[in-house]
Amino acid sequence: MDNDKTILIVDDESHILHVLDLKLSNAGFNVVTAEDGEEAFEIAIDKTPDLVITDYQMPVMNGLELSQKLRENDSTSSTPILMLTARGANLAEGDIDETNIAAVLSKPFSPREILARVQKLVEWRKSA
Amino acid sequence: MSIGRYLSIGAGVVTALLVGALLFYIDTRESVLTRVLAACVIGSAVSALHWFVMGSFAAELRHITEYAESLGRSDNTPTDISSSRRRQARRGMHDLADAISRSVGTLRQRVDSLVANRRELEVQLRISDAERQHAEAILNAISDAVIVTDAFNELALANESAERLLRFDLEQSIRKPVDDIITDQLLVKLIKDTREGACGFSSQSSNGSGQLRRHVEHRMPAPRRDAAVFDVTLAGITGQKDSPAGPTAHQAAETAGVVTILRDVTREKEISEMKSNFVSSVSHELRTPLSSIKAYVEMLIDGEAPDEETQHEFYNIIQSETNRLQRLIDNILNISRIESGVVKTQREHISLPELIREAIDVMLPQARAKQIELVDVPTPVFFQVFADKDMIYQALLNLIGNAIKYTPGGGDGRVCVSVSVDEHDNTVNVSVSDNGVGIPKDDLPNLFDKFYRVNDHKKIAKGTGLGLNLVKQIVETVHDGKVFATSQPDTGSTFTFSLPMAENGY
Repeated sequence: MDNDKTILIVDDESHILHVLDLKLSNAGFNVVTAEDGEEAFEIAIDKTPDLVITDYQMPVMNGLELSQKLRENDSTSSTPILMLTARGANLAEGDIDETNIAAVLSKPFSPREILARVQKLVEWRKSA
Repeated sequence: MSIGRYLSIGAGVVTALLVGALLFYIDTRESVLTRVLAACVIGSAVSALHWFVMGSFAAELRHITEYAESLGRSDNTPTDISSSRRRQARRGMHDLADAISRSVGTLRQRVDSLVANRRELEVQLRISDAERQHAEAILNAISDAVIVTDAFNELALANESAERLLRFDLEQSIRKPVDDIITDQLLVKLIKDTREGACGFSSQSSNGSGQLRRHVEHRMPAPRRDAAVFDVTLAGITGQKDSPAGPTAHQAAETAGVVTILRDVTREKEISEMKSNFVSSVSHELRTPLSSIKAYVEMLIDGEAPDEETQHEFYNIIQSETNRLQRLIDNILNISRIESGVVKTQREHISLPELIREAIDVMLPQARAKQIELVDVPTPVFFQVFADKDMIYQALLNLIGNAIKYTPGGGDGRVCVSVSVDEHDNTVNVSVSDNGVGIPKDDLPNLFDKFYRVNDHKKIAKGTGLGLNLVKQIVETVHDGKVFATSQPDTGSTFTFSLPMAENGY
């Protein structure tokens, strides 16, 4: 079990937070959650998670702004990010260039697929 | 006695004296008396002849004069005068009379044709004046701004829309350089570039009738707005005036200019942006509950809900998210049905206080979750309206739902629904008041527009901007009622709708 790995999940939809929390916890990850970008940034500074899963459209600070801020911050500058979006092709190509967004997944998503991606990214990072 | 007669007598006397003198000089055999008599006889004969000739000559002259005068008068009807006079005039001097008559005839024809030409010109002037006014009226009726500049980049023509948009006075600006009239330098440059392009084009085009057209999207300030988007059409006029002598350089220059048309497309842009935002927004709103449904179903299938309680929780989430999806689709469909006029209404006598109670019961869990107090003002009166119950119920849910959404939770929040009657207008008014974040003054006029969302609210709660539009459609389009909002930022909002009271309403 990868219980030494911490995943930060950010979404303003409580049901989504809940289901991802459960899926990743069941797989042995430590999960912390936040409901908007600002709260997430504070938690990220505090806990330095191994990976961040964030929704794109959120109040206060959106997922892209959060990713940019995490990249600029020393302790989180290399944290990989999985972005979820319900907006389809709303992200421009260049938008993710200055971030650590490893993949953009569109909603509705499959929790199995999320778990597989998270495991792959965390493994890859460990071996890197 | 006339001068002619004196002249005749004078001529007779002078002749008699001359003949007498001659007779005395050449023949001395005859008696003096005979010679005097002979001189007198010859003198008298000459005088009489002179009289006769002069008389007929003067008469001839008079006839001709009269004839000429008759012809010269503008109101003449000369046919009988001329024929009778002409008969007399023919005696002796008919050649002269004919010549004069012909000249006068020619002159008359010329005068007639000049008069006709003048009338023709007057008619043409009136027609062209009317055409000009007509063209000006058409030009001014066009809501697009139209500016015409000449070869020297000076203003030649403009309509009222252009005057308003570019803030100049046409009468004072005509024939002045565009640089002095139009402050937007990019627009001035466009006009100048097009004119230069048009000149180049003209020199390539043999008949000169070719046109150079350009379309540019241009953003600039407009009256009452900071910035508006314009679709600018610039057309170089390169046609030359028809002239029998051929177009001179000056004429060609006169006609080479630019017609600039500015069409305000701000609204179209906004609508198109709204539509794409709506599609994006609807897509987001549809995908979000669908994400939950898909994820929880997968979790159930994968056996990731270990106990019965968790499974039950998942089922409930799937159900509530399915309902959410259904509500969204219903909202979109209801609005489109009402808008397209195909909605079927089932009107009945409904009691508003009862309906409000029902709506509050449904919304209470949502209010409690945010620790917001949701109350109705009890009324003993049985206010009745003749309306579609489901629709009014939907409108109430949307208004109460919004009030809960935009009121901060945590204890102090309060949403109150009240009903009252306006006896003057014979309407029943339902108000939903909250002490929430309120609505900025600038947003109030657009609040009920489809897809409209208050910017400050986007961060507070999600929404498609359809809820209030549906309320408006239900109340105003379907029930001939009225809905409006009053608000004070940071203090709260009140949404009120009024419906015509049913007969014997209470």
